[in-house]
Amino acid sequence: MSLIIDGLLAILAIYLALQSLLAPRLTQSVFLFFAFGLALALAWIRLAAVDVAITEAAIAAGFLGVLFLDALRDFAPRIPAKNEAVQKQYSKSQTKSLFLPRLTLWAGLGLFLLIALEAVWKIPEGGGLTAAAGTLLPESGVENPVTAVLLNFRAYDTWLEMGVILIGLLAVFAAGGKMAYRKPGVASQDPLLRQVILFFTPVLFLFGAFLLYIGKTGPGGAFQAGVLWGAIGILLHLGGWPFIALMPRWLGQLLLTVGLGFFLVLGFLFMAAGGALFEYPPAYAGILILIIETLAAISIAAALSAIFALLNQIGEEADEIESTT
Amino acid sequence: METYQIYSLTSAVLFVIGIGGVFITRHFIKKIIATMIMGGGVFLSFVSFAERDALTFADPVPHALVITGIVVAVASAAFALALARRIYQQTGDISFSNDK
Repeated sequence: MSLIIDGLLAILAIYLALQSLLAPRLTQSVFLFFAFGLALALAWIRLAAVDVAITEAAIAAGFLGVLFLDALRDFAPRIPAKNEAVQKQYSKSQTKSLFLPRLTLWAGLGLFLLIALEAVWKIPEGGGLTAAAGTLLPESGVENPVTAVLLNFRAYDTWLEMGVILIGLLAVFAAGGKMAYRKPGVASQDPLLRQVILFFTPVLFLFGAFLLYIGKTGPGGAFQAGVLWGAIGILLHLGGWPFIALMPRWLGQLLLTVGLGFFLVLGFLFMAAGGALFEYPPAYAGILILIIETLAAISIAAALSAIFALLNQIGEEADEIESTT
Repeated sequence: METYQIYSLTSAVLFVIGIGGVFITRHFIKKIIATMIMGGGVFLSFVSFAERDALTFADPVPHALVITGIVVAVASAAFALALARRIYQQTGDISFSNDK
């Protein structure tokens, strides 16, 4: 029975991945990618990786899906049908001269598939690090092994990852060519959107806080909570209250860097006390991890909503250019 | 055939679909989606082997790596989207080919 479920889920994931690349319209692609992310999230649950499932559903399907949908405003409506026809004609006229490269590409892909299948089939039984993590778990200050690895054993990775998110935000800032966030416009008059914001803001906040706290014992943690809190920022932005632009510049910068900064200061304090970087004293590990996770979640939420706000701004400027010309 | 084997084979297929998509699709957004599918394949293989190595709980190290990886992949995809939208705004191109 479980084999059938797993098999069907695997086929579904492969089908959705193929379709999202082959679908003729961009809108279809984006929605199929949404569905693909959720199918993968189900696969994580089947593999007993609930932490990963929440992250996948929240960030890879949810947040990235929102970014793609926002990008559709730029791309989807303005590609006239004529343009597509021209493209098709172009690709048809090129078919003959491209025959050999295409054949090579497909043959290469087929060969690569066989190699990849053989590689994953033959990965040697190593035993992994489960036993090592299990022995050290009581010293980590938390009961959920994944949180223990993320914030204690491999805290270095998590710290650098927060840096990557910050650099991602800066890169989006640079690519957008902006000097500052757009100042807030008029609050949205859409009654439905207002109600959704009023209803979901406290729910999302509470659920995020719950995930943050429960990360100590069960699936959940800073990243999942950060995305939920980031969703509040996105909702408020859509409703005409872009809080990251409303708050003073220093406060926004503080929120964005507090997770990374606190992590770093803490790490160096431990080094000054004679330990290694991120070597928490076992007695205080639990409470330290909770503080780090809270600050990290705040930073992640601020960074994600700022990324959305900037990408959204790129689209709005395109709209303005369109309307003036 | 065990659960992890199904998913590890699926991961190889997903990775190849993604890498094929990067070459074959034209539109920027589809290329970005293709790289995300590639990433999904890699993550799936990690987690499937974490399940194989499970004792009382699944191997937490690959899980933590995958959570980190998903967030980094999304951050880079957001940057790619910003670049794609900027290119479209400046030049009107929706793909790397010369035709418009």
